[in-house]
Amino acid sequence: MSKFTALPLQEENTSNLFPKIRDSIAEDIKKARAKLLTILSEVGYWHELSSKSSLNIVAALYGIWIPTGTAVGIERVVVVSKGHMAPALYAWLAAEGVIGDDELLTFATPESRLQSHLDAGRLDTVVTNSTGSLGQGLSIANGIALAAKIDGVKREVAVILGDGELDEGQVWEAAATASSLGLDNVIAVVDRNMVQHTGPTEAVKPKEPLASRWEAFGWYVMEVRNDALEIAAALESLAGVVERPKALIVRWESGRW
Amino acid sequence: MVVIVSRNSSYRRALSEALVEAGGLNKDVVVLDADTPNSTGTAAFARIYPRRFVNVGISEQDLVTTAAGLAIVGKVAVATAFAMFLMRAWEQIRNTIARDHLNVKLIGTHAGLQDFMDGASHQCFEDIALMRVLPGFTVLAPADTVATKATILDVVLNHPGPTYIRLGRDNAPMIYDDGEEFPIGGSKVLEDAGDIVIFSYGPMLGVSREVAKELRHQGIHAGLVDVYSIKPVDSATIVKQAAKANLIVTIEDHRVIGGVGSVVAEILTETATPRRVLKVGIGERFGASARSYGQLLEYMGLTPRRISSLIVGEVG
Repeated sequence: MSKFTALPLQEENTSNLFPKIRDSIAEDIKKARAKLLTILSEVGYWHELSSKSSLNIVAALYGIWIPTGTAVGIERVVVVSKGHMAPALYAWLAAEGVIGDDELLTFATPESRLQSHLDAGRLDTVVTNSTGSLGQGLSIANGIALAAKIDGVKREVAVILGDGELDEGQVWEAAATASSLGLDNVIAVVDRNMVQHTGPTEAVKPKEPLASRWEAFGWYVMEVRNDALEIAAALESLAGVVERPKALIVRWESGRW
Repeated sequence: MVVIVSRNSSYRRALSEALVEAGGLNKDVVVLDADTPNSTGTAAFARIYPRRFVNVGISEQDLVTTAAGLAIVGKVAVATAFAMFLMRAWEQIRNTIARDHLNVKLIGTHAGLQDFMDGASHQCFEDIALMRVLPGFTVLAPADTVATKATILDVVLNHPGPTYIRLGRDNAPMIYDDGEEFPIGGSKVLEDAGDIVIFSYGPMLGVSREVAKELRHQGIHAGLVDVYSIKPVDSATIVKQAAKANLIVTIEDHRVIGGVGSVVAEILTETATPRRVLKVGIGERFGASARSYGQLLEYMGLTPRRISSLIVGEVG
């Protein structure tokens, strides 16, 4: 019998959790969406859906989760594993004023900091690790989280995984490592957009029952809709779960974007 | 056959001692292994520093990438595995450790022919080729236990950045005295070039020393250079020694493609007078299980007697 549940949060609950953030985050997401479309149109809609479905996750993690942690003395680190969502991160950074609109248009040109897949060497103030090869982010997150355990430091690490990416065996090597080491400061945020390169995930190589898979690997699992405030609320509630790593499956409902 | 190894001299025991010492000197040293601590020699570190040791289980891709995560936040991550199975994670090493120039020390044990019992699957002849092509990687192959201990300590404590150290298993020759130093980018001229010069490294340096002895009995003076630093390599010494000899020979327990034979040939083709290099190593074949290291060397045609007669044939 599965213990995971969809988070029963309504809009009024989420607004109570982040009263000051609620309006500004909605405004920033709106801005970021427009900027994302600008980037994507520049390059003929490269990995369009992956970036679109990741935008709310990016907003929740970078816009709410990290600053909320900083406010209470918890270092929060985001590892991106599904590197082809880079445009979503760049759009978010542009919406926040970290990247200028002119630079945004340099996306995927050789001299640009904004490589098609994230390049840590070029954007080291924001990006922890270079991406492009799938399946590695959870292992990296485990390493960063483990260092905090060794040092007795308060640090939480969230890693953004794609659902198609879960085909990579290394994800499950790392999932087993995280639970075996009791890394309760690791949160795997799975962008469950139901699509991978060839087509629908369930037609290419089924991922379901996805929550049960994570649970079977010793993880605490929660599912949530693809909404920034719901994601942020879920992340906060997961902070109370100890001695186990946590997976947050973010379900994309097409048409919501 | 000639006894060419000391059975009491073990690369992994040297690794074990070096990691324990490094762990005591630097609290940021974290050691990771993939279910082989008793085989690689990390078990002692695990006993003494259990909080700074991780056994990720049999998952080498996760091993090297977890090490990458530790390095990102300032740890000196040392990941050990059989050389062959570290190579399973080559793409992770390339795309995460090399690309982000992370301070991860990869130590591949049981390389070359030293894992005689386990056979073809475990005998790794490709690691130098695979690791030396990676930008920013340092590639080192100490020949004996003195060099192994000194190299690991130096690299872990003093040289940030991605490094691959290639080790054998137990059959280490005894070459150096305690206190010898092995700076990165250096080499050791054990015997100045004469009629020929041999460039070798790792366990085969012991074999090469025997080759040189056999050649001397036949009136051929062979120089011998330990190319322990494969990348960066001591080009100046290689060029200088090669210039003195009539025949240049490389001897290694690695494929002749991509190994030190290739390194030496690449260097010498860039000089004004390119030279032929006799590359002794492993060609288009795999290893086999054997009852002893000597038996496997015999099977692979890499005993001192076989190599020296090959050279005599060349010299005429």
